[in-house]
Amino acid sequence: MADLSVDLGFRVLKSPLITASGTFGYGEEFLPFYDLDILGAIVMKGIFRDPRPGNPPPRLHETPAGLLNSIGLAGPGSAALQEIIRRLHARTAVPIIVNVCGEDDEEFAEVAALFSAMDEVAMLELNISCPNVRQGGACPAQDAGHTARLVRQVKDRVRKPLIVKLSPNAVDIVAVAQAAQDSGADALSLVNTFLGMAVDITTRRPVFANVYAGLSGPAIKPLALRLVREVCRRAYVPVIGMGGIASGHDVLEYFLVGAAAVQIGTINFREPAAALRITGEIEAEMERLKIKSLSEIRGQLQA
Amino acid sequence: MQDERGLIEDARSLGGDYYLLKIAAPRNAGAAKPGNFVMVRVSPSFDPLLRRPLGILESRPPYIWLYYQARGRGTRMLAALGPGDSLDILGPLGNSFPEIPGKRVLLIAGGRGIVPLFHYAQVYAERRPLLLLYGGRTRADLQLLDRIKALRLQALFIFSEDGSLGQKGLLTDGLERIVREERADVTLSCGPEAMLARLALMLKGRSLENHASLEALMGCGFGVCHGCAVRTVSGTYRKVCDEGPVFPLEEIQWPT
Repeated sequence: MADLSVDLGFRVLKSPLITASGTFGYGEEFLPFYDLDILGAIVMKGIFRDPRPGNPPPRLHETPAGLLNSIGLAGPGSAALQEIIRRLHARTAVPIIVNVCGEDDEEFAEVAALFSAMDEVAMLELNISCPNVRQGGACPAQDAGHTARLVRQVKDRVRKPLIVKLSPNAVDIVAVAQAAQDSGADALSLVNTFLGMAVDITTRRPVFANVYAGLSGPAIKPLALRLVREVCRRAYVPVIGMGGIASGHDVLEYFLVGAAAVQIGTINFREPAAALRITGEIEAEMERLKIKSLSEIRGQLQA
Repeated sequence: MQDERGLIEDARSLGGDYYLLKIAAPRNAGAAKPGNFVMVRVSPSFDPLLRRPLGILESRPPYIWLYYQARGRGTRMLAALGPGDSLDILGPLGNSFPEIPGKRVLLIAGGRGIVPLFHYAQVYAERRPLLLLYGGRTRADLQLLDRIKALRLQALFIFSEDGSLGQKGLLTDGLERIVREERADVTLSCGPEAMLARLALMLKGRSLENHASLEALMGCGFGVCHGCAVRTVSGTYRKVCDEGPVFPLEEIQWPT
C-alpha cells in the first residue's frame, strides 16, 4: 500500500488531501459519508468575529464544468464555531484548520488569535482572498504591500502554523506570495476563486447583486495549475495547491508542478464522498507510476 | 442520508414537459418522509457540474417516484434516460411536512408543486381528512390525476388558467370559498413563487396554520454550500436544503 503522507515541514499530514474552505461546511455534515480521518486535514468554512447573513440570492450560477458563487461568507461567528470545533474534535482525529476572515486587519488578527489559542485547532488559514466580501471583488491578496502588513500583524498574535490563501485575481500573484512568505507565512494555499460574472439577458442585469462572483470547479483547473506552478518556482514555504481537483490524476499534476499538498473543493458538492474516491485513485496512480511517496514527484515537472 | 446508485425501472413522458421516473433506490425509499427531496446526478460528465434537487412524489420500498418538469439542460438530460440506466441519488434530504393529527388539512399544489403534497397524501390520506386544491396554467400542468384520484382524498378541486380542465382561473380564486366551506385548519402548499406569495397574502391574519415547501437552486443539498438561501421576514436567511424545504408560510419574505 502506498504511503500517502506528506511533509509540510512544520507538520506531517497522513494524506495530501485537504478539504477546502466553504465546500466542506464545518466537517460534521460529511460524517455520514466517510471517516474524516482518511484526510490530511479539513478547512472550516471561513469565519468572522460576528455572525454574518451572507449575500442576497441568487448565490449560485452554474457554468460549463464550473460554478459561480456569491455566498458572501455566511456564518455563525467565532463563538459558535468554537463550540462546533470542540464537538467535531470529540468525534474525529482529523486535523482542523480554521479559515480566518476579517472586515479589516484588526479583525483578522483578533479572530486568528482566538482560534490559535484552541488546542483542537491544528493550523490557521488566512482568507485574504475571498472575492465576495466587497463589491467588485476587492481583497487584501490583490496587493503585496497590504498582504505583507496583514500577515505580519496576524503572525505576531498566533502560535499555530499560518497558511495564507492567495487570490488568482492579483495582478502579480507571485509578488503577493513572496510578500506573504517574507512576512512569516508558514505555507501558502492557492487559488481562491477566479472573479467572473454572468448576465441575465432578459432583465439585462447581472445575475449577482454584487455583479462579480467567484468561479470554481473543474473549469478552472488549467488556470489554477499554472498559477500554482508560478508560485512554487519562487516559494520557499510549502504550497497547498487547489482549483478544480476532481481526481487522483489531478492531484498528481499539482504535485508535479510543486504542490506539497492539495485541497479539494467544489467536487464535494457534487459528490459528498469525493475524497474517498480520490484517495483510492491517488493510490492507484502511484502504483501504476511505481511511486512510493508523493515526495518523489513533488516539483519533478520536466519542462 | 445516503448516496446510493439508483436503477431506473420505468421512465415516462407524460406530455407537456413532464416526466415520471420510477427508481429502485432502497435506502432512500425506506427513509423518505413527505416533503423530503433527493439530489440526482444526471450525468457522469462535469457539465452540468451539480446535481439537481427533485422532490419525492412517492416512496414504496424499494422504489421512489420522481415527477419533474424538464425545463433546463440538467432535467432534459435526465429525461433522456430510460429503464436500465442508473443514477446517483443523494437523499432523503430536508425536513418534512408536520404530521398535524386531528386537523382538516388543505393541500394546495401549483403544477409540479404536487410532488411533496402527493407524498403527504399517500402517507396520511387514510388517517385524516385531506382536501386537495390543484391548479395549473393548462391541463398539461395538471398531470397524475389517475394517481391522485386513487388516493383517499375527501375532496379534489381543480383550476386551470385557460379553463381546459376543472374551473377556469387561478387556484387562489377558489381558496376563500374552499377554506370557509370545508373548514380547513391547516394548509400545506407547494408551487410557483408567485402562487405562494399570493397565498401568504390571502392567508395572513387568519387562524389557519400554513406550511409551504420551497424550490431553490442548490449546490449541495445538505447544508454545506449556503447557495439556496431564502430571506425571512426577520431579515435573516434560511437554507432551503437543510432548514427547509418546508417553512411556515408566514416566515418567508415573499416578493411583492
